[in-house]
Amino acid sequence: MSFEYLKQKKILLVDDEADLLHMVEAILKKDGYTQIRTAGSISDAWTLYEEWKPEFAVLDVMLPDGDGFSLLSRIREKSDIPVLFLTARGENEDRFKGWDMGADDYMVKPFMPRELTSRLLAILRRSYKSENPLAVLSGSKVDFERAEVIRDGAHIALTAKEYDILTALYRNAGRIVTIDQLCEAAWGDNPFGYENSLMAHIRRIREKIEKNPSKPVSLLTVKGLGYKLLTED
Amino acid sequence: MRNTWKLIRRFVLILLLSVITLFILNVVLLIAYTYDDANNRGGWQAAEEIAQELTETKEGYRLSPYGEEILEEMDAWGILIEDGSGDVVWHSGNLPSGIPLHYSVSDVSWGTRGYIKDYPTTAGARGEDLVILGHPKKRYWKQMWNTWSYKLIANAPQTAIKVLGFNILAVLLIYVLSTSGILKSVKPIVEGIEALPGEDEVYVREKGLLSGLGASINRTSEKLLSQKYALKKKERAQANWIAGVSHDIRTPLSMVMGYAGQLEENAALPEEARKQAQVIRLQSVRMKNLINDLNLYSKLEYHMQPMQMSRINLSAVVRLAVADFVNLDLEQKYPIKWEIEEELSVCIMEGDKELLGRAVNNLLTNVRVHNPDGCKVSVKLKTDGEKIRLRIEDNGAGVSAEQLDRLKNAPHYMADDGNETGNRSRHGMGLLIVRQIVSAHGGEVEFGRGESGKGFWAELLFLLTEKIKS
Repeated sequence: MSFEYLKQKKILLVDDEADLLHMVEAILKKDGYTQIRTAGSISDAWTLYEEWKPEFAVLDVMLPDGDGFSLLSRIREKSDIPVLFLTARGENEDRFKGWDMGADDYMVKPFMPRELTSRLLAILRRSYKSENPLAVLSGSKVDFERAEVIRDGAHIALTAKEYDILTALYRNAGRIVTIDQLCEAAWGDNPFGYENSLMAHIRRIREKIEKNPSKPVSLLTVKGLGYKLLTED
Repeated sequence: MRNTWKLIRRFVLILLLSVITLFILNVVLLIAYTYDDANNRGGWQAAEEIAQELTETKEGYRLSPYGEEILEEMDAWGILIEDGSGDVVWHSGNLPSGIPLHYSVSDVSWGTRGYIKDYPTTAGARGEDLVILGHPKKRYWKQMWNTWSYKLIANAPQTAIKVLGFNILAVLLIYVLSTSGILKSVKPIVEGIEALPGEDEVYVREKGLLSGLGASINRTSEKLLSQKYALKKKERAQANWIAGVSHDIRTPLSMVMGYAGQLEENAALPEEARKQAQVIRLQSVRMKNLINDLNLYSKLEYHMQPMQMSRINLSAVVRLAVADFVNLDLEQKYPIKWEIEEELSVCIMEGDKELLGRAVNNLLTNVRVHNPDGCKVSVKLKTDGEKIRLRIEDNGAGVSAEQLDRLKNAPHYMADDGNETGNRSRHGMGLLIVRQIVSAHGGEVEFGRGESGKGFWAELLFLLTEKIKS
């Protein structure tokens, strides 16, 4: 994948365990990230934040001088940078609290290095998508910024629902997204009984992105479960 | 209160039965006692017989020896009154003095109806003439006016029933009056005992006839409450302890996993060392799962996991879990067949989405853990109109009959004896959590082996609460 520009982002790691900080730093460096700073407390993190202006923060919840939630709300007063919680607190209330406060993701320790790096990259892609090149599919390209499909030089606009559905698929590119998740992305909570509408939208999306909509190669059906978007990048 | 009513009903029934039984018993006794007395007919019979035994001769009447015997046996005297003249034409030898020897028609009437000189009499006809026997004074008591109104006899059955009815009423009245006092003091006791199994503290006024019982109930209630409180406190401490341990273990385990992962990918290391690092990583993933399971298990067990109930679509939950499973199966070692009855595509029930997803996940994870070389998996969602059945089946290594038995019957993870080294023995917690989650949703879990003895299946059954849209 060609996301080199994202690897230049300034990443702040906050955790009270120095050993863990070292390890995460090593993992990220190995994955190609170049600008990483670490802090062991809220006050250190805050100083670093003010001076260095990181573009991404990985926060622990339990810190010696307070909790990560309060650090996040201080950050949120100043900026919208993406934040990922990496913590040993796995309770649902904690997760919901983190998300409610505007965290972009919430990971519970212990974690696999690869899980961390792929989640981090996904968040960066989402957060800095204006710099994001177009999504490249087999027969077309999708410009999410303008909500349009570019195929054979022609620009085809996506409707709002098509955009929601395609975005959900693109965020999970290469993975199955269930019918229900797609309905939720398009119609909101508890979307019961929208399967037929979803099928109609999928058909129209295919007409826009596929060379041969009756033999799709990018937007695949996984029977009974959902759909999968394959990208070229 | 229900118990009190039951008690009253029972008593009334017993009373009714007793009254009826008593009535019948009385009638029987009456008949039995008076049966002997029916012989008082004997006096009259004797008079008839004497009349037969008298023969007329030239010297007057003669009583046969048999007739004499009868008189002797009855200890009676006899006279024969001639029709027309009213004269006594024969009398027995033992005639007491003072018995008249001439009778007018009215005398005869009086004599046969009642007494002659205080001797109770019986009479019998001899042709136109009349034989009268006189019996010892204390032998019979004669009813002089032996008539009842016809109505009285005709209405006898109704009268008997009326009497019986009045008796029953009287007995009931006596019962109610005498027991209402007892009931009054029993009622709070019964209510107290009935309330004991409930959640709240029970207090019964310690007064009156049964104050001792009331006091015992109050003390029992206090004891129960304090025990419950102590138990809860202990459970909470236990669950908190487990939560604490599993929290503290996460950061060190992160480092084990992280560094093992890095070593595994370090091209500078010899192949052997990288393989060993992989083992460390995989085993630490397993530890991570165990810790998660242990934590969730103790929370569910001690009711510290608040259920987030809402209207959910079960098929969406299952689809998501299956999709996650397929997404993780990069090598496609576990081809999954997903079947759902069409009307279940939207299958609404009241439930906790996360927990139900976790249950399905656990079952699918088990398939992967126990069949590292891959196997086919089938997930089916069916309904028989009353229950929803979610069946997850594999054709992999399966379980032995004993292991299956243990799975079905082991009440607790801790009950696993731990001797087993096979993989299935570690089924333990994952399946227990499935069971906990399902039973928290009012459902049931069934396990079994494939038909050919291979493979393993689990079926989750939930009540279908909402009608399926056709």
